[in-house]
Amino acid sequence: MVLLELDPFLNELTKLYENTKKSGTVWVTLKRSTLQRQKKRKKPEETPAQAAEAPEFRCLVRATDGKKKISCSLTAKDHQRFQTSYATVLKAHMDSLKKKEKNKKSSAAKAQAS
Amino acid sequence: MVYIENWEDFQERAIVLFRSDPVATRYVMKYRHCDGKLVLKVTDDKVCLKFKTVHAQDIRKMEKLNNTFFSMMARGPDVEVPEDLPKEPVAPPPSRKGRGRRQ
Repeated sequence: MVLLELDPFLNELTKLYENTKKSGTVWVTLKRSTLQRQKKRKKPEETPAQAAEAPEFRCLVRATDGKKKISCSLTAKDHQRFQTSYATVLKAHMDSLKKKEKNKKSSAAKAQAS
Repeated sequence: MVYIENWEDFQERAIVLFRSDPVATRYVMKYRHCDGKLVLKVTDDKVCLKFKTVHAQDIRKMEKLNNTFFSMMARGPDVEVPEDLPKEPVAPPPSRKGRGRRQ
């Protein structure tokens, strides 16, 4: 699992989408985390004061194409920037879904049928 | 694995699920370009909600949901949800009753 910064992660994500155009899947997972496991490794009784503090939340984003895995950890400040860039990447690559052009096509089909 | 047909239903239940356990809930998106298929999954490892689509119009809805999740994950589950309320029927401006006389 490759942990990247925000911008390299977005670049790698773009590459994943481009590589899977002909075959393959892109999974993106979004999860909140407190990253508290690090505290458990160290003696838990040592710093009760720190444990009492509000845990800092980070958002984990993971992406994979089945073979290559990348991930990124976002802070609250990174969210805004990531959100916009991520939306741009998605819009740019998710173009194989069916577009509904009901009105034009169905009316044209009806005109032809009648 | 429950596939939910209605987007509004899926969105609402996903947000409720996240609020009930923000740390355990994850949001997964699977996209297959070759099949033109998009699947969304929200789960806390006890309850699983899924939504699949082949339609491009659902991308916009998904983006709004993404934004909602991002803000909830950043600021906490208590952030207000920008609900897509259907346009509330605005009372039409009181029109003059009866035909106005041409003057």
